[in-house]
Amino acid sequence: MLRDLTLGQYYPEESPIHRLDPRVKLAGTLVFIITLFFGQSVWLYMGASLYLFVVIRLSRVPVRYIVRGLKTIVVLILLSALFNLFLTPGDLLVKLGPLTITTQGLVTAVFMVVRLIYLIMGSSVLTLTTTPNQLTDGMERGLSWLKVFHVPVHEIAMMMTIALRFIPILVDETDKIIKAQKARGADFESGNIMQRAKAMIPILVPLFISAFRRANDLAMAMEARCYHGSEGRTRMKPLIYTKNDRLAYLALAAYFVLMLTIAITLGSRVI
Amino acid sequence: MPIVSAQSLSFSYELRDEEGNVSEHIDALKNVNLDILEGSFVTVLGANGSGKSTFAKQLNALLVPTGGTVFVDGMNTADESHLLDVRKTAGMVFQNPDNQMIASNVEEEIGFGPENLGVPPEDIWKRVNAALDAVGMNAYRKASPNRLSGGQKQRIAIAGIVAMEPKCIVLDEPTAMLDPGGRREVIRTLHALNKTRKVTIILITHYMEEVVDADYCFVMHQGELVMHGTPREIFSDVKTMRELSLDVPQVTEVAYELQQAGVPLPDGILTGAELTAALTAIRDGKDPAAAVREAGGFND
Repeated sequence: MLRDLTLGQYYPEESPIHRLDPRVKLAGTLVFIITLFFGQSVWLYMGASLYLFVVIRLSRVPVRYIVRGLKTIVVLILLSALFNLFLTPGDLLVKLGPLTITTQGLVTAVFMVVRLIYLIMGSSVLTLTTTPNQLTDGMERGLSWLKVFHVPVHEIAMMMTIALRFIPILVDETDKIIKAQKARGADFESGNIMQRAKAMIPILVPLFISAFRRANDLAMAMEARCYHGSEGRTRMKPLIYTKNDRLAYLALAAYFVLMLTIAITLGSRVI
Repeated sequence: MPIVSAQSLSFSYELRDEEGNVSEHIDALKNVNLDILEGSFVTVLGANGSGKSTFAKQLNALLVPTGGTVFVDGMNTADESHLLDVRKTAGMVFQNPDNQMIASNVEEEIGFGPENLGVPPEDIWKRVNAALDAVGMNAYRKASPNRLSGGQKQRIAIAGIVAMEPKCIVLDEPTAMLDPGGRREVIRTLHALNKTRKVTIILITHYMEEVVDADYCFVMHQGELVMHGTPREIFSDVKTMRELSLDVPQVTEVAYELQQAGVPLPDGILTGAELTAALTAIRDGKDPAAAVREAGGFND
């Protein structure tokens, strides 16, 4: 079970977006998210929609895969929409008993919903087109300037790589422990929430012990293979920018400037 | 010059009680002296707690001696400035295949060692390809380690070491967690590496079948080196082996029991063919030792 678990959900495809350098994709996602917060204007959001549409088409990932990520935050979207709708002070639009809807509230709610949906869709495109390994690689290389501020970028990336490798192993192990405890008569299904939570302790303790033991073994194996941090280390698959990556950066810059111009010229106008 | 040389090597560690005070000294290795020749296939035998794993870790400078010295290819393992060179010379494979893999795909896993050594990318690929060929796992290069069998995982772990191009590979019970098929796979791979690439293999094990084909064998007991010799010399002494709570190969045991029962068999029979030859010779009234020699035994 769960032998191929990947964080996020990589969608294998040979599209121009898949082939882009992970650093470009990270920058693209970041820029997209920033532009979503430029303001509340129909024109701005039309720009963002166009950007998202073009990227999704280029990535050839079916839209239903991208939308699937929204399911998990439906409640969050609904809550923030309702709060914004009913609790924003401003010009009265409709009055429903004790609840009032204002024009400003309606506008804010609509933009809030669209913004949240776009946030999720934007980051889904990143995880659907980039393998977790590429992602950690891209982060390590793309964020290496943080080393100036003594952020252990290489170490964090290495931890993420190892975590990705060990998640399926630990999931398997949990499964084994649960079975072993059940064989000895442990009851995980009945009782109220407190009792069930307590029943988890005999699973967690052995799991932690075994995880520490594995970590110890792994550390020794890494040392035995001459691992000594990022210094003097080369990469088997070095990240090198190609022509497409440079073009993507240009397009990204153009998009950013355009959005900035729209935001400045429109000010706080909605349309 | 021997590739590995231990000179009055001792190692002890401290047990601490709950307050962190030293309560006991455990001597894991006591005055071990041995030389291992370059290019040989050597096994280290011993029951649990005999100090064989502690010995293995000395060769890779994961542990350094508390007494005496260990030289790997002429370098003193206690000398910090040689640390990486020692580890580059003597690669190490551990017991649990799952706990020694870092990457989520086979290629990257094998590339991990060369990456740490600072090998340029083109050369890493060459080494990875060569290592995959050497262990016969080229077909699985893109696979996730989680999808491989135990024997395959252990072969990948060996390839990960081979890619670092060490002169010597130390394996600490690499087959302990494998089924018989996986065990044969791994041992066959090791013999191939030893023959074609002239890599010195130091195999720590407690499976007697894995010892039979080795060039030389060391037996450890409670931290001391108690016997050494060719596998045939070692297994000829069934009585001592039993005293050390170690087995001998099944055929040798049968021969020993027959000998005890009065059958005039020679010492040190290792294979079924040799035993058959000796028994046939006895039936036909010929010299059993000569028959065993004819069957291919006693020539090493």
